[in-house]
Amino acid sequence: MKAFFALPIFGVTLTLVAYFLSGKLKDKFNLVLFNRVLVSAVLIIGVLLLFNIDFETYNNGAKYISFFLGPSVVALGVTLYEKLEEMKRDLSVFLISVFVGGVVGIFSVILFLMLWNAPEILSRSLASKSVTTPIAIEITKITEGIPEITAGIVIITGILGNAFGPFILQKLGVKNNKAVGTALGTAAHGIGTARAFEISDSAGTYSGLAMCFNGIITALLAPYILDWLLTFSQ
Amino acid sequence: MLKSLIYIFSFLFLGELIHYFLAIPIAGNIIGMLLIFLALFFKLIKLEDVKPASDFLVKYLMVFFIPYGVGLMVYVNLIAAYWVPVSLAMILSTLLSLYITGAIYQKLDKK
Repeated sequence: MKAFFALPIFGVTLTLVAYFLSGKLKDKFNLVLFNRVLVSAVLIIGVLLLFNIDFETYNNGAKYISFFLGPSVVALGVTLYEKLEEMKRDLSVFLISVFVGGVVGIFSVILFLMLWNAPEILSRSLASKSVTTPIAIEITKITEGIPEITAGIVIITGILGNAFGPFILQKLGVKNNKAVGTALGTAAHGIGTARAFEISDSAGTYSGLAMCFNGIITALLAPYILDWLLTFSQ
Repeated sequence: MLKSLIYIFSFLFLGELIHYFLAIPIAGNIIGMLLIFLALFFKLIKLEDVKPASDFLVKYLMVFFIPYGVGLMVYVNLIAAYWVPVSLAMILSTLLSLYITGAIYQKLDKK
């Protein structure tokens, strides 16, 4: 049976069926908590635990699905181009917002961890928590953290932003669609962007660009901010 | 559809190539995204040549993240020991970053 689950078709089919079911659930109960990535992941983990299948076995197939993350990030560049006119008009507003929000994200996560006396290795692993997984992992290798922890926290951050971001922003008075999109992409990378596309096309585009821009900002600044802040803990 | 998919994959390939040979700390797919954006901007390629595949990929962006979400089950033990400071730092920092980005944008956009 183990050999059967190791067939790529198992992981692929399970992922697609879980996503399909998450859509049915979302249609029936339109709750924030029924976020499709969250529901799908919970369903799949449930199945894996039930049949005692480890992640590696599931990933034999699932890796063919996550592979498409690469080309879909490239595809966001096409969507960005389509919204070029809209963006040109308030490009400086956009860039300032992402820059400040991104830098605040790096500073705050490190400072909070230092405040609660978490080991330095966690600060080194979480500095890039708001940016898209592939970049975050690269940054963590440079900052000498643990890439596995980074991957986990980046996903939870994304799910957090995806599931609760728009609701919290609205409660705090941020109602402009483009502002919500920019915030989601800056703080919750591609998972936040997926949610922004559910709000509107322009929110999604702004989110995708914010994800990309914050990825670059974080890649360039996080190692320096980290080194500087860590000198105060000694 | 096939032609547009070839375009998308070629730009991803180029991005990965640049990432590999220049060893810059920017992911290959992000470089590919910037390159395809620039290629469209400078009219080196046509929008209709890439649109079918890119619309499809963007529509199902969420599906491609699901295996990463499932992968959490592997890392759960590593985070378990420090879950309180890690969760608090993650939640507070994410909220702060979200709110500041959104609030600045909304404030400046109105002017």
